Amino acid sequence: MRQSVQELFEKYQNNLYAAAFNICKNTEDAKDIVQETFIQYYSLRKEFDNEQNIRAWLIRVAINKAKNINRSFWRKNKKPLEDYMESLTFETPESEELFETVMALPEKFRIVIHLFYYEDYAIREIADILKISESNVKVRLSRGRSLLKIKLQEEWDDDE
Amino acid sequence: MMTNREKYKQAFSVLQTSGKISLEVEKMAVINKKAKLKAAAAVITTCLILAGGSGIVYATDIGGIQRTIQLWIEGDQTNATFEYNSDGSYNISIPSEDGETKEYGGGGIAYEPDGTERPLTEDEVLEQLNDPEVAYKDNGTVWVYYYDQKIEITDKFEDDICYLKLSNGDETLYMTIKYQNGWCSSPHKYESPNSFN
Repeated sequence: MRQSVQELFEKYQNNLYAAAFNICKNTEDAKDIVQETFIQYYSLRKEFDNEQNIRAWLIRVAINKAKNINRSFWRKNKKPLEDYMESLTFETPESEELFETVMALPEKFRIVIHLFYYEDYAIREIADILKISESNVKVRLSRGRSLLKIKLQEEWDDDE
Repeated sequence: MMTNREKYKQAFSVLQTSGKISLEVEKMAVINKKAKLKAAAAVITTCLILAGGSGIVYATDIGGIQRTIQLWIEGDQTNATFEYNSDGSYNISIPSEDGETKEYGGGGIAYEPDGTERPLTEDEVLEQLNDPEVAYKDNGTVWVYYYDQKIEITDKFEDDICYLKLSNGDETLYMTIKYQNGWCSSPHKYESPNSFN
């Protein structure tokens, strides 16, 4: 199946933006990645089994593009995260602290945490998106949670 | 009492795209392809890599000289403002039909034969921007665009390979096109389909 770019854009633009930002920590790069991901969807004309497959593909592409930008030779959008933080309005101080703490985690823990808690993906689905083993996802998720617990203490519960 | 998941979603709900992303994907797809090298490295002494970004102009403190160039997009000539920076990056501004100017940025590096990297020169970037284009249309037809030429090659594939000779008056290019799988060109001869991708 194929869905129109417009339809997918309205549904998933913020999901792709959040996933891209989670990795590249830069608003301009993240917007660029969202746009390029939809261009790639348009250009590739790939057929998908269902909408969940499309969503997972879009997120995977956005994540890979963000990783590429981080490694890029000519990356120039180097505005620090702190500058961007000032422009964000969080609902609570606890939300801000959680956001900052997550963004301070190593990338490989951060993106697994994000896909689990924000995108509601299961371990198996995260493994498929990131092309790593399920046991690797479990380890990263566990270590990410532990680091969040150490930093946030009672603001972060012990969960599964 | 909120769960971790609820707390996380609340914290990250601040990340919104702000709706400034253009959805002119068809035009961008063409321009993006123009900004990426598709030719095989075998035919040139250095391997050039261009990467395009769209929609966002990179803030740069390097500074470059702006000039107007003619960019061919699907056979139509478009005036664009081209700015090259000394690190191999470039910005292109193209007026769109809605009166706004769309900005595209990118950069390029070349791998020398010994494996070292260097920024692309301005001439190298410009040369890549006017490479031929291969377009696969929704109606199943396949087209090659080269400067002002629009050539339908839908029926020219044999075993998913098409060989096409192009000329812009000054130079001749020999293209080898694999159906839905990239292409390669050389000013000297048709490259073997096995030599790229």
